[in-house]
Amino acid sequence: MATVLVHIALLAYAAGAAAFLTWLVKPQTRLARAGRILLLAGVLVHFAAFGVSLGVAGAGLGVSAWKGGQLFSLLAAVTVAGYLILDFRYELPVAGAFIAPFTVAVMVPAHLVHSADRAIAPELSHSLILFVHVGAAALGTAALALAFGLAILYLVSERQMKHKQLGKLFARLPSLELIDRAGYRLAVWGFVFLSMAIATGSLVSREATGATFPLAPKQGFAILAWALFASLIQARLVAGWRGRRVAFLVVAGFLFLVGTYVGLLSGAPALQGTA
Amino acid sequence: MTLICVGLSHKQAPIAIRERLAVPPEQIASRLRELKGLAGVREAMLLSTCNRIEIFAVAESRVAGEDLLESLGAVASSHAICRFEEEALRHLFRVAASLDSMVVGEAQILGQVKEAAAQAQQAGTLGPELSRALARATGAAKRVRTETEIARGAVSISSIAVQLAHKLLGSLEDRSVVLLGAGEMAQLAARELRSAGARELLVANRTPQAAEALARETGGVPVSLGELPALLERADVAICSTAAGQAVVTREMMQRAAKARRYRPIFLVDLTLPRNVEPSVNEMENVYVYDMDDLERVAAQNRDLRAAQVGKAEEIVEQELRAFLARLRERAAVPVLARLRAHADAVASAEAERTLAALEGLDDKQQKTVRAMAAAIVNKLLHAPTARLRAEAGEGPLGDAAAALFGLEAEPEQAAERAEEGQRPASAAEGSVVPLLRRS
Repeated sequence: MATVLVHIALLAYAAGAAAFLTWLVKPQTRLARAGRILLLAGVLVHFAAFGVSLGVAGAGLGVSAWKGGQLFSLLAAVTVAGYLILDFRYELPVAGAFIAPFTVAVMVPAHLVHSADRAIAPELSHSLILFVHVGAAALGTAALALAFGLAILYLVSERQMKHKQLGKLFARLPSLELIDRAGYRLAVWGFVFLSMAIATGSLVSREATGATFPLAPKQGFAILAWALFASLIQARLVAGWRGRRVAFLVVAGFLFLVGTYVGLLSGAPALQGTA
Repeated sequence: MTLICVGLSHKQAPIAIRERLAVPPEQIASRLRELKGLAGVREAMLLSTCNRIEIFAVAESRVAGEDLLESLGAVASSHAICRFEEEALRHLFRVAASLDSMVVGEAQILGQVKEAAAQAQQAGTLGPELSRALARATGAAKRVRTETEIARGAVSISSIAVQLAHKLLGSLEDRSVVLLGAGEMAQLAARELRSAGARELLVANRTPQAAEALARETGGVPVSLGELPALLERADVAICSTAAGQAVVTREMMQRAAKARRYRPIFLVDLTLPRNVEPSVNEMENVYVYDMDDLERVAAQNRDLRAAQVGKAEEIVEQELRAFLARLRERAAVPVLARLRAHADAVASAEAERTLAALEGLDDKQQKTVRAMAAAIVNKLLHAPTARLRAEAGEGPLGDAAAALFGLEAEPEQAAERAEEGQRPASAAEGSVVPLLRRS
């Protein structure tokens, strides 16, 4: 049942992505509206799938259901939910054209990862700290993915404005100030959740392997990303950094974060424990 | 009835002629009443803008066109164009959609058309035919604006400056604008920024007197040009048009200002030659400098963008026009259909009554069944001819053939038309809606 619902959600995301991408070429309000409705429908079905999954698991917080692929699935759902909130606040259909395809791209690994291959260690399966870790990682990554999307949008828009070559999309792009402000807020939220994810991750790691910070690509990239976002926030608050250089830092930070997930998928045994 | 459009625009006459013909708003009502007083004119609307003076009228025949032309005066006669029926309708649709404007896609014209319609309504010269045409024309114009990019992108220097400021800073409320110098275009841009919501307008000039005078004119606050570094720290938009003959905003000055303003973005619009802002200032982060060439280039891009949409907009206008004409023709077919239906109903009803009289002893239910059968036969027999006549919409020979075959010529057309529209018969004095493009 849950799998069917996830498939329906994926279809809705793909249709939403198609609507937003068509909107880029043909700016009709109804296309953007259709994109929003499809993403909203997709995310509701997606969360319903999680609900069903937890119900089936029937074990407290349902943590026994956590598997490698599900993190990506949760990440996609949270990203879409985050985008819809962002769109409601700032009206950013152009960001939808980036976020919706990104969501579809994130959902694919969720299907590629075999649950059996990435099943977590039994001693962790009912751990509350793992639940918090996965939740914080999903929320943080979703916020930073949205910040990354906005940073790319900023760099494109800023380049057009600076070089005075206003392309066809220019009229549909929001103001630079808005992209910068929204991107920074998301980066701050992403940083907060990333901090939580790293802190709780170290506890999970200690429970599973005995090492608080094992030397693995996943942990290394996460720490690098965290340090970069910490510097970014510091530079903004102290020196007033904004605009292009902040956008570049967000892009770099998010790429480090992607490295964390590559580490997760490449078979590092961090969560498999001693089982 | 015939739709006539008489008048001229920027395409036919220079401004010297147009300004002599322009009708002041306070005289529109009386002019409209004069127009409606002309022989054969039933409805009239006058569109008088800085680019056109045009009369749209519904008249009994094309002959009224000459009187309408004369009403414009001798000056207009050698320039004005007279359009009739479909051509006049197409012109109305194109004008409302801003396809006939000097700046294609400009938004003002639709408002002006609506205003002209409201004036005609108030003056009592707007009737059902013009109203219908105007409603469809404004609908077509809205479709053009939403389905094409014809109205996207500003094309005047001052509005481009405002648009770019919006693009950089978002809402201009709570923003500070500095006007350096007294160039006319700069004043215009400053006023537009102010009306777009800018919180303050600081006006700097070489002499305090000039700054004060300019501030009074633009609704700003006078400041000294000597405070330029401080002004650059404070402003979100600076419009430069001093006659300094050299750069007044240097890179060094801007670097100091950028640090002090904590890299908040600033938009510098340089509207002078030689330039007031050092070109290298644009290389700085969060500082955007647009000079006259840049703004002209954006204007050209936007003009090209609009021009590329003209074909699509024309298609929409043509679609809407075709749909409207088809509707009009359908209305033109209504009298024949109504007469045919009335004739058939009368025959069926008479035959049913005759049959009922011959068949004694039928109860109410049985009598109802006989009458229903007669009506059903009529409906089935007339279904195909009615559909064909509607499809042909009064253009071809079928309407006349139907009238001749069923012997409908003698029946009064207007009564039949009312019957079709479910109205009670009324005297001719009450007036009736007559199709605009009916075949004569």
